[in-house]
Amino acid sequence: MKAIRALAACSLVVAALSAQQITPPKTTLKVGDQAPDFTLPDSSRKPVKLSDFRGKKVVILAFFPAAFSGG
Amino acid sequence: MDAQVIGVSTDSTFVLDHWKKELNASYMLLSDHQRTVSEQYGVLITQVGMSNRATFVIDKDGKIASIEEGGSAIDPNGAETACSRLAHKKAE
Repeated sequence: MKAIRALAACSLVVAALSAQQITPPKTTLKVGDQAPDFTLPDSSRKPVKLSDFRGKKVVILAFFPAAFSGG
Repeated sequence: MDAQVIGVSTDSTFVLDHWKKELNASYMLLSDHQRTVSEQYGVLITQVGMSNRATFVIDKDGKIASIEEGGSAIDPNGAETACSRLAHKKAE
């Protein structure tokens, strides 16, 4: 009986998790598009503007989910 | 080196500052706490309010040269390693 209960509880958890499944976004930007400009603060709160790199450097813009997530 | 690696996440500047020091990272980490840029680039996972892993290579004219999303996107640490390897190769 215990085993059946555990199994039922387990399948409930699985069902709840799959109901909340996260759909990853898909960007509408395409290769060749002008990269949308922005200004964001860096880790020392200094504002950084993307277009300031124009004509100077190639930019590798790497979005990652959260700090400490191995990224 | 004429490439700049910029990591972007929805973390606060405080968290990024802490992490940058912990990693001893030399690349830039930007805070998109308002989620506007993640939304602009179409990489925001709305259910959790975080950015998906995605890499955009932007050429010197400000045009997008490459897009990688999800598992194939590189993390900023990896990007920097790749860049420094390239620089090393060029120097040889």
